[in-house]
Amino acid sequence: MRKLLPLVLVLLGLALGQGDKLKACFIYVGPIGDAGWTYAHDLGRKKAEAALPWLETRYVESVPEAQALPVIDRFVKEGCQVIFATSFGYMEAVLEGAKKYPNVIFAHATGIKRAPNVATYMADFYQVYYLNGLAAGALSKTGKVGYVAAFPIPEVKRHINAFTLGVRAVNPKAQVLVRWINAWYDPAKAREATEALLAQGADVFAFTEDTPTVIQTAAKKGAYSFGHYTPMLKFAPNHVVSGQIVHWDVIYIDFLKRVKEGVYTAKNLENVDYFWLLQHKAVEMGADYGVPINPKHVPLLQKAQMTVGGKKVSVYDRIMALMKDMQSPKPTFDPFTGPIQDRKGMVRIPAGKKATLQELLSMEWAAPGVVGDWPGEPK
Amino acid sequence: MRWELDPNPSPGKVALTYGLFLALTLLALGVLFWAYGVSPLKAYGLLLSPLGDSLGLAEVARRTIPLLLIGSGLALAFRVGFFNIGAEGQLLMGAVGAAYVALFLPSGPWTLVLMFLVGGGLGAFWVGMAAWLRVRFGASEILTTLMQNYLAYYLVVYLVAGPWKGQFVFGFLYTDRFPQEAQLPRLGDTLVHGPTLLLGVLAAVALHLLLFRTPLGFEWRVLGENPQVARYLGLKGGQLLLLAGALSGLLSGFAGVGEVAGIHLRLLEPAQISLGYGFTAILAAWLARGRPLLVLLTAPLLGLILAGGDALKLSLSMPFRVVDVVAGLLLLALIGAEAASRHRLVWRR
Amino acid sequence: MEEALLRAVLFGTPILLASLGALLSERAGVVNLGVEGMMALSALAAFAVAQEAGPALGALAGVGVGMFLGLFLGVFTVSLRANQFVAGLAVAALGLGASGLLGKRYEGVPLAHPLPEEGFALLALGLALALHYLLLGSRFGLYLRSVGENPRAADLFGVNVDGVRYGALGLGGGLVGLAGAYLSLAYRPSWTDGMTSGLGWVAIALVILAAWQPLRAVFGAYFFGLLFFLQFRLQGSVPIPSEAFAAMPYLLVILVLSLSGRTRAPKALGVPFERGR
Repeated sequence: MRKLLPLVLVLLGLALGQGDKLKACFIYVGPIGDAGWTYAHDLGRKKAEAALPWLETRYVESVPEAQALPVIDRFVKEGCQVIFATSFGYMEAVLEGAKKYPNVIFAHATGIKRAPNVATYMADFYQVYYLNGLAAGALSKTGKVGYVAAFPIPEVKRHINAFTLGVRAVNPKAQVLVRWINAWYDPAKAREATEALLAQGADVFAFTEDTPTVIQTAAKKGAYSFGHYTPMLKFAPNHVVSGQIVHWDVIYIDFLKRVKEGVYTAKNLENVDYFWLLQHKAVEMGADYGVPINPKHVPLLQKAQMTVGGKKVSVYDRIMALMKDMQSPKPTFDPFTGPIQDRKGMVRIPAGKKATLQELLSMEWAAPGVVGDWPGEPK
Repeated sequence: MRWELDPNPSPGKVALTYGLFLALTLLALGVLFWAYGVSPLKAYGLLLSPLGDSLGLAEVARRTIPLLLIGSGLALAFRVGFFNIGAEGQLLMGAVGAAYVALFLPSGPWTLVLMFLVGGGLGAFWVGMAAWLRVRFGASEILTTLMQNYLAYYLVVYLVAGPWKGQFVFGFLYTDRFPQEAQLPRLGDTLVHGPTLLLGVLAAVALHLLLFRTPLGFEWRVLGENPQVARYLGLKGGQLLLLAGALSGLLSGFAGVGEVAGIHLRLLEPAQISLGYGFTAILAAWLARGRPLLVLLTAPLLGLILAGGDALKLSLSMPFRVVDVVAGLLLLALIGAEAASRHRLVWRR
Repeated sequence: MEEALLRAVLFGTPILLASLGALLSERAGVVNLGVEGMMALSALAAFAVAQEAGPALGALAGVGVGMFLGLFLGVFTVSLRANQFVAGLAVAALGLGASGLLGKRYEGVPLAHPLPEEGFALLALGLALALHYLLLGSRFGLYLRSVGENPRAADLFGVNVDGVRYGALGLGGGLVGLAGAYLSLAYRPSWTDGMTSGLGWVAIALVILAAWQPLRAVFGAYFFGLLFFLQFRLQGSVPIPSEAFAAMPYLLVILVLSLSGRTRAPKALGVPFERGR
């Protein structure tokens, strides 16, 4: 009973305080887990709740795509005013739900289609992957960099390409060996894919899937690696060089504040699209929060040289310079600046042009240096 | 003290046993909820909440459809002694067949019928291979059908990531949306695709009649009960097995057609197509104890457990694993009670 | 090539251990479909205890939880004589579910002192040999096989059928638990919900491929481990879709089973023993 009492009080409090609190509800595609996509969104939700006293949040994990609409129904019934749907696969359910409930505000992560009450948002890593690619290119002695990838979708392809462009900028002969595991979460597959790449001579690793398995496996053999989605330094303090870290809370707090202030309403979201990058502080390059590069590996990267515009510079300086540029309000550098050909020799981004948002979101080609099967590769 | 079979348990005893086991389970669940800081009474209420409103009933019905189709087929197959564990893969093959018809054949009023024919046919063909391997080489169908699940999984991944990937899906792993003619009508604004539900009910009834009212059914039951006797009687065991297996594959294929034509309206990543219906249906079949008609009861029951668990996880923001715990405990209670009510304790040796 | 053989053994080890566990109870006539859930909960118990009290005790805890779950399954399948298949599937769900609910705070924490995989691999191999002699060369093995083949006759000869079945489930559960401990203490080494990722089902299937023989289970598990590794080793080296390589292990298992010919399951497998009938 003693345990129940606080609960009852909380419920009472909620019932009374309903008037001022904004209720935001989150639909997660996977279990919260320990490292991946959903874990990061949940971290963002918690931070937003801690930062905004007038915010109340709810979440439900492991919602299959087909179940999104019934979940939206339930959430609306329970008084959710803002619904965040955190997977591309929820698109149709979100659009249908938005029509059904025109007064509820929806925000769809990785989404493409908007409506008066549906905004889209994404915190993207491609710049960070490029920077990590520079470091990987400098650290690989064999010239073979391993990449364990979940599913062949544009987001993952874009990241592999950015990473490979970075690797090749330092070592033009390097290869990025890609292995698909066809799962977001499967430690056994991630482990054996890493082992296979190690056996083929890869000595630096990056990945896109939801566990720290690649890092743990690589470290056993003394290979460097780059964390993904959340800080992973603790899983291999001597071998994690850097990584990609997301801050969904930055987007969630910004969005919810504007809803609270009445800037965003259920009628004016048609053009609200967050595609937030380094400059918005929605993503970070780092082995851990605030640690862009593991101090243990800084000397190595300082010693390594690369050629930029005909001049020799240290890889470390190049990474830091580019990072600073891309973190500034008006970046001048973008990894996907032409001329870029794909690995078959077709020009994908003409000289002097940057890839458009549309091109980034639907990227299907493979950059030169990518080695391995590439489902859906354009002819 | 001995535990022996009770040939005629009285209805009172049966009710008492079920009540006792259910109470035990509710107690165990209650402790769990309490430890989690949730009022047990509220949690029980949420578990049953799908029965309380149309939204919840629709959720139960949506899960019941594939469980009913697959479950009644499996009830028959298990009865005959064909342990088809590969319904999940057969469901995926049904989805593949349906997607092929919907996307690559000219559409018209015949499209839906053709989808069911091709999808069901692929499901039957898929399990037919396992049945043939068993009849011809003695390869255990438990293993072959289980392995076939993985094969079907990767076939679907290959199709949606490669040759069948849609032009309007922004590179994600989907085919394009099915044309209007290839979409099953739904009840109101729910996700319940009526025709498939009807098909499921018909399947359960038809298989029951087939099994208990026809000479073929008699031969099936003899074969399942005692293969040796079947041999003495000169029954063609291989053919009977193949037929029963193929029927269960056909129905699993139908379930796959229903899922893609009624809910997803496209082919997509395999883990998103089925939600494990092929495995849950095994439970529906076993709980029905070889009587397809009883699946009409066990399938909605499992549907309710799944939907109730989902209501719990949503309303209380509990981890999704709560669904597994609830399902596991309730299942143990069900079969524990079932077994206990068939036995009695005798206080002598 | 060396690399591939090493992976075959190291990835085959958890499958082997779990297979041996399932095999032991099946030889006594009890199907154990709970392997996946038993492994999941054992992996968590092993990890949690290892973090507090060291990896050796952690491994023991994994074995202990496996044994407990084996005996728990026995309450339903042996004492109550309930349907073994449903009971097993229920235990699988329960184990997975309980591990997910209880383990939240152990997620995202690296294990302080991992155990060497090679040690587990040797242990598993030794256990397979021991099980072989236990089944074929010992009195307990004789009882166990007789209970699995013809429990009525065993009962007439004074063998305690229920007792032997409990024993087999308990010992088998311990082996399954050891498989779980291997995953969280050596193979990963850390714990996350769902980390067994279907290996339990593969283990159950391998019992059939091994024709209920412990030594054949060794080859079956290593064979599967080899194929699982090769799907990634070969991916991309030949212009064949990666999905085809991913499907290869499962296809080859079907092939091997079909070619290895008819095998015979224990006669009383899956049948509850009723004394009076």
